[in-house]
Amino acid sequence: MSLNTPEFSASDFAPAPNLVAAERIVRPSLSYWQDAWLRLKKNRRALCSLYIVIALLLFTLLGPVIWRQDPALQDLDAISQGPTLGTRAIVVEDPGNWEGVRGEPAPLPPGGTLGAPTLRVEGIATTQYVRLVWSMVPGAQQYLIYRNDHAPESDQDLGLPLGTTLSPDELSFEDRLQLRPQRYWYTVIASDGVEEAAEHTTIEVSPQRAITVSQARERELDDTVGATVDLPAHPFGTDYLGRDLLARLMEGARVSLFIGIVAPLLFVLVGVIYGGISGYFGGNVDIVMMRVADFVIALPFLLFMILFRISFGIGPGESGIFPMLLALVLLRWPDTARLVRGQVLQLRGEAYVQAARVLGAQPGYLIFRHLLPNTMGPILVTLTFAIPMAIFTEAFLSFIGMGVSPPTPSWGSMSNEGIRTMLSSPHELLFPSIFISVTVLAFNMLGDGLRDALDSRMRSRE
Amino acid sequence: MLSYILKRLGIGVFTIWFIATATFTAMHMVPGDPLSNERGTNEIIRANLERQYGLDKPVFQQYLLYMGNMLKGDFGIAFSEENRSVNDIIREHFPVSATLGLLSLLFATAGGVLWGALAALYRNRLPDAVLMFLVILGISVPSFVFAALSQLLILNLNQWAGRSILPVAGWGDFRSMLVPALVLGMSTMAFMTRLMRSSMLEVANTDYIRTARAKGLSPTRIFFRHQLRNAILPVITVLGPAIAIITTGGFVVESVFAIPGLGRYFVQAVAQLDYTVIMGTTVFFGAFLVLVVIAVDILYGFIDPRIRLGAV
Amino acid sequence: MSSSEYALEVDRLAVSFDTYGGVVQAVRDVSFKLRKGRTLAIVGESGCGKSVTMQSIMGLIPMPPGRITQGSARLNGDELLGISQKALNAIRGNRVGMIFQDPMSSLNPTMTIGRQIAETLVVHRGLSTSAARKEVLELLRLVQIPEAEKRIDQYPFEFSGGMLQRVMIAMAIACKPEVLIADEPTTALDVTIQAQILNLLKDLQERYGLSIILITHDLGVVARMAHDVAVMYAGQVVEAGSVDDIFYRSAHPYTLGLRAAMPSNDPEKRTLRIIPGSPPDLFAPPPGCAFAARCPHAMRLCHEHAPPLYGTGHIARCWLHHPQAPESPVRGNIATLTEPAC
Ligand SMILES: Nc1ncnc2c1ncn2[C@@H]1O[C@H](COP(=O)(O)OP(=O)(O)OP(=O)(O)O)[C@@H](O)[C@H]1O
Ligand SMILES: [Mg+2]
Repeated sequence: MSLNTPEFSASDFAPAPNLVAAERIVRPSLSYWQDAWLRLKKNRRALCSLYIVIALLLFTLLGPVIWRQDPALQDLDAISQGPTLGTRAIVVEDPGNWEGVRGEPAPLPPGGTLGAPTLRVEGIATTQYVRLVWSMVPGAQQYLIYRNDHAPESDQDLGLPLGTTLSPDELSFEDRLQLRPQRYWYTVIASDGVEEAAEHTTIEVSPQRAITVSQARERELDDTVGATVDLPAHPFGTDYLGRDLLARLMEGARVSLFIGIVAPLLFVLVGVIYGGISGYFGGNVDIVMMRVADFVIALPFLLFMILFRISFGIGPGESGIFPMLLALVLLRWPDTARLVRGQVLQLRGEAYVQAARVLGAQPGYLIFRHLLPNTMGPILVTLTFAIPMAIFTEAFLSFIGMGVSPPTPSWGSMSNEGIRTMLSSPHELLFPSIFISVTVLAFNMLGDGLRDALDSRMRSRE
Repeated sequence: MLSYILKRLGIGVFTIWFIATATFTAMHMVPGDPLSNERGTNEIIRANLERQYGLDKPVFQQYLLYMGNMLKGDFGIAFSEENRSVNDIIREHFPVSATLGLLSLLFATAGGVLWGALAALYRNRLPDAVLMFLVILGISVPSFVFAALSQLLILNLNQWAGRSILPVAGWGDFRSMLVPALVLGMSTMAFMTRLMRSSMLEVANTDYIRTARAKGLSPTRIFFRHQLRNAILPVITVLGPAIAIITTGGFVVESVFAIPGLGRYFVQAVAQLDYTVIMGTTVFFGAFLVLVVIAVDILYGFIDPRIRLGAV
Repeated sequence: MSSSEYALEVDRLAVSFDTYGGVVQAVRDVSFKLRKGRTLAIVGESGCGKSVTMQSIMGLIPMPPGRITQGSARLNGDELLGISQKALNAIRGNRVGMIFQDPMSSLNPTMTIGRQIAETLVVHRGLSTSAARKEVLELLRLVQIPEAEKRIDQYPFEFSGGMLQRVMIAMAIACKPEVLIADEPTTALDVTIQAQILNLLKDLQERYGLSIILITHDLGVVARMAHDVAVMYAGQVVEAGSVDDIFYRSAHPYTLGLRAAMPSNDPEKRTLRIIPGSPPDLFAPPPGCAFAARCPHAMRLCHEHAPPLYGTGHIARCWLHHPQAPESPVRGNIATLTEPAC
């Protein structure tokens, strides 16, 4: 503590109380919502979620306008297709009017054994049909036709038995069994009716994607045989009935988000009104009303949703969007009611509400003009968290077949359909469940962000 | 404490009564009164039904009869199967569901406490970030997706190993329970992890932890003796809701993994509109859940001295 | 060194917190000495850094965000700052006992008080559980808790606030510490209980020769308990000296203000006076004296230059003691270098 301080002049010792009192840093005062919004914008995760939510809404509302495929149109030629970005196909004549090839059977020369036929494809191989023609094998009573999706490694590895000819003079076969544009190995074996020939012929065939003339006509495409036409793209693939998954996801989004947003809006509204009344009046009214709320919370909620559906007489295979909505609203309001009641009770004691009361404001006026605007923050947070809950509930119920049922798509019911073909075409399960997960994720994170943004503001207000 | 238990039980009994009545009403609201409808019934079942439910009597008497039976613990008879009572069905299938549920509750709680404590310990560092990301996934991905993915995983695992390491579906030994129980407990584990983490952090900031540090206790001792015990308390309070989630979640997991539990039976009964089984199992499940929640609350009372000794 | 007359010496301590809004300089260059067997009171408004000072010495502030940027603290000659966690744990609760403001929240709600007190004995003195229990009973009697045998197995919520503070004291003195730090031990209690607790502390001091640091913002408590006083303002010690120095020869306008704000028993002066204004923002302390903005005697230079410490023994951080400063109520109340120090 040195006293060798710099020399001071007398003016330094002139009295100057409160010199700096005026130059307080004045922070711009922000409204509650502006401040919360600023905080939210700083939270990268919450902001990302907000963008995802907006994207989802656009997907649902604008998607069908841009992506004009019919979600209900079945295409049995494009069942469980993986994602494709548009394909071309040639137009071929309708199957069934091919007479096939016949030949005079010849007896087996004495001492000879059954040989192998020579095998070829008649015309071009297409996904509509592959027409096999082979040469007559002396002594053969019938021919067996196999198809495999890899080159046979042994005589036991010929693949799918497609059929057997019925008479010895039949020397052709038309394969129309779920052909895809990929490589196949066809094998024809001659048989004398008892034993199969030791030798056989295998050829490799790559069918081209094709549609028939009548299909082309149906879709108003060029219907001349041999023409090349563009088939619709399926960026998310197709389902087990060949319906476009993207179009169905959009349609399903409407159902899922409808329930996911409308139900929470309704039950939060019910909760706000209920909790507002309960908290405003207090006393015995409050006690009774909160008892009822406690009771409703204690009910096993999913069981009641199922009961609701049954009592509406909605059997399996019928859609129950309305009962689901009703059940959600009837059973999920108490959480909000409790929250709002707590907030109202707290605010009721505060000065400005007391003042308004003394001035003779009506209860309704007080609740809606003073109490509710001040509880908007927590209500918004509850709403944000209620949305993923409702989406989850819809998905869960639809998945066990108790919610939205085919043909109406929802993400839950699409997952339900997808899980059956999970092994062969996983995309049918994958896409709807990704949509559910991302939506729930986004709303959850948005809720977290909102809560943080509003919470800290509330804390700093104290 | 005793009066608290009695009060809870009283409300619980009322709730169960309400569930039973609601179920009865729901069944009688079904258009075309399915109980007197002849769909899928034969003579013997019909006669049984008439005796059991008094179908020829007025609705109110049917209700009394039904409530009387419920009181005796008789949940009725199956609608679509001859000579099979709902009690038999419950007796056969519920132990499976209970085993599965208990196992997954164990996974969820142990995992939640462990991961939550770890995340809190490594707060705002890499392990915490990773765990919290997984938690968000666990909360956001529906259980049927986990179920399907784990089945795919098991399939590939078995294929890769060339033998069956874990069964893809079915029920039997512990190996077949492992994955379904994990899948079933996943979302609950995620919730509990999150809860445990925030509760740990909250406790870490309390005055009594500061006191413990001022006493010169080692960090390990503080962690185990003071922080953990108090932080677990909120996790115990959510055991009740957790059991409810796991029970209903069982409907999905049992269906996907083809586990012969009561949940899957219930789903099938709803699909086949086997009204009497629906009625019986709904009331059973409802009563079970209500009682479990009460049991958990009482358990909590025994763990937290403040409630045990009647301070709250 | 350990034979020095001071139980605790804190020298030029500075502590800051890194927060989102910036760095909070909670403690700025604080020094004080605690004489053996005496009570040093630290007084000051809420938020002036009293608790942070003591807690940072004992390693109890959260780090991060907290940081000790400079200084030293010696307990009977042994340095406390910068030592290992283990060495610190051997001192806390053993050589230094602490009690806190709110006894209700300062005890673990799910552990019996007996076990909480015994823990200290088990950890520091290696006592067995049964031996510790015996000792705890002794301690409970010492702090005048009736029916100790019954109380020992009870939980905190079964006690009143005053009783809990006795429990806290029992816990703090269990290992016969050299220094007892009491952070506003009576603020949360009502007046009659306050007196009992203070009497208990005084009694223990006489019996065991405890050295006590008493944090408070109640000058009444100071007058009753303290031998020495340090007045803190905005993270600094602005005046320190014996209790008589502070009360009869106040050398800082802030101390004057505090004294004026003291509720009086004299019915004539019953009106409670408070010091107008509020303490400066610790994010950006003013360049001059922190109190200048509220000081009725502020001079132009107070706003621009930080005042040095004047005096020895009784010290004050105020420009009014500068030889050129005009006449003021504090003038001449400390021995500046121009007068011989005694
Ligand atoms: N963890 C922390 N993070 C940021 N700032 C802190 C932290 N702890 C304390 N502070 C700041 O340090 C300053 C001093 O706080 P401290 O608790 O020491 O005050 P006090 O003098 O004990 O007041 P009281 O009489 O209210 O107990 C305060 O301004 C506070 O904002
Ligand atoms: Mg303090």
